[in-house]
Amino acid sequence: MLPSYEELSAWLPDLLSGLSISLQVTALSLLIGIPFGLLLALGVLAKSRLTKIIALFLVEVGRGAPALVLLQFIYFGLPTTGLTLGSFTAAVIALAWNTGAYTSEIIRASLQSIPHGQREAAVAIGLNRLDALRYVLLPQGLRVALPALLAFSILIFQGTSLCFTIALPELVSRAYEIGSNTFRYFPALLAAGVLYASISIPAALLVSHVEKRAGSYAQR
Amino acid sequence: MDGAVLHLGSGKPTMTEDDALAAKGVPSAKGQARKPLIKLDKLSKHYGNHTVLDGIDLEVMPGEVLAIIGPSGSGKSTLLRCINYLEPPDGGHVSIGDISLNAAAPAGRSELSTLRRSVGMVFQSFNLFPHMTVLRNVSLAQERVLGRSRRSADERSMQLLKRVGLADKAEQYPGRCSGGQQQRIAIARALALDPDVMLFDEPTSALDPELGLEVLAVMRELAETGMTMIVVTHEMSFAENVSDTVMIMADGKIIEKGPSADVMRNPQQERTKRFLRAVHDR
Repeated sequence: MLPSYEELSAWLPDLLSGLSISLQVTALSLLIGIPFGLLLALGVLAKSRLTKIIALFLVEVGRGAPALVLLQFIYFGLPTTGLTLGSFTAAVIALAWNTGAYTSEIIRASLQSIPHGQREAAVAIGLNRLDALRYVLLPQGLRVALPALLAFSILIFQGTSLCFTIALPELVSRAYEIGSNTFRYFPALLAAGVLYASISIPAALLVSHVEKRAGSYAQR
Repeated sequence: MDGAVLHLGSGKPTMTEDDALAAKGVPSAKGQARKPLIKLDKLSKHYGNHTVLDGIDLEVMPGEVLAIIGPSGSGKSTLLRCINYLEPPDGGHVSIGDISLNAAAPAGRSELSTLRRSVGMVFQSFNLFPHMTVLRNVSLAQERVLGRSRRSADERSMQLLKRVGLADKAEQYPGRCSGGQQQRIAIARALALDPDVMLFDEPTSALDPELGLEVLAVMRELAETGMTMIVVTHEMSFAENVSDTVMIMADGKIIEKGPSADVMRNPQQERTKRFLRAVHDR
């Protein structure tokens, strides 16, 4: 059942390079996806109808379609329109879209949770819309959103395992590859699982720490 | 006792609005046409079928302190909020100094920005920005709206905080300050744009009487410096002793308006009498 020490030391370089790709995809998806989510949130809240409709469409598709379907669509579907993407790029685009759609809802709810008086005070002291957002609403909204955004980041990290289906050599692909070479599927996947947990569990602890601090901010 | 004597001795009952202003050292203009700083013409506001403001005509002279009193739901706060277009009115005219806005036409951004620069507003619930220090609260608009450097903005903010007696709180966060302190900071924040007029929307209603007093003291001092002020309030002593004019509103209309002592002690309208009686009977 368990991988032997020799097996582990033989597999580890491959598994770690897989983990590194998983982390890269996660980081890029979040770096692109969260700002995208902010834009989508603002779009959904916008007064302009067209902006609102476009933003809603992107959010609803991004949330409505499973990440796996988005991945397959972008990697296998887009080439039929003449746009061929590498599996890494396709993975980042699909997961960034997914991230954007979900985080836009988190950010929108956080922005709406700020007392109305804050916006009024910002307007009354003469700030324009952008400055009110930048200096008054976003700093408070993002503080509220932070724990949920971090928790979602962990989900996206785990979601990178779906990229296994588009032949991206990330952690699960590597474990599977080891399995098919050695017929030691279970030990290899177990090792991969431990690697996922070694990132996810400390990250979850961090989230609950941040959550507590965010709570104390709200009471201040 | 002393207070009561002073109170009666202020001798406002026989004064005209003009005299009251002159007595305060506001540049008087007997004989010459004095221009109102604020002029509202047939200002109206509806929420659906409900009329909140029903054609308000109002003039406020430079240096005048106007108290607006009246029952809840009479449109007092809405009137205040229409003056700085926090809620755009849907009929009539608002003019403040050189700015003139017609409610029928959508207001341009630059007009609104000029309007808000000349009007400071203080809210019932303070609405300080909780994520910024007290100093940043007061400096923010100076930097972003007036384009001052951070240094000169902070310098001015410190002056204002000294004026409201809170210079020692500059580096604190608002959440660490009492309600009365927060409201005084909010006054400093509103003054930071050097407005021509200050609007106060029930500034002491969220405070216990003791904390309310320190806010009222700051407002009284501000009134003495000749600031034009419109104060929606339930503080009858402020209306009577600090303000020059008092206006009673009910159902979106002005019921009565005049020199404060006249209105407060010798109201003419039945609706005013009823309201004041209710207040005094408490």
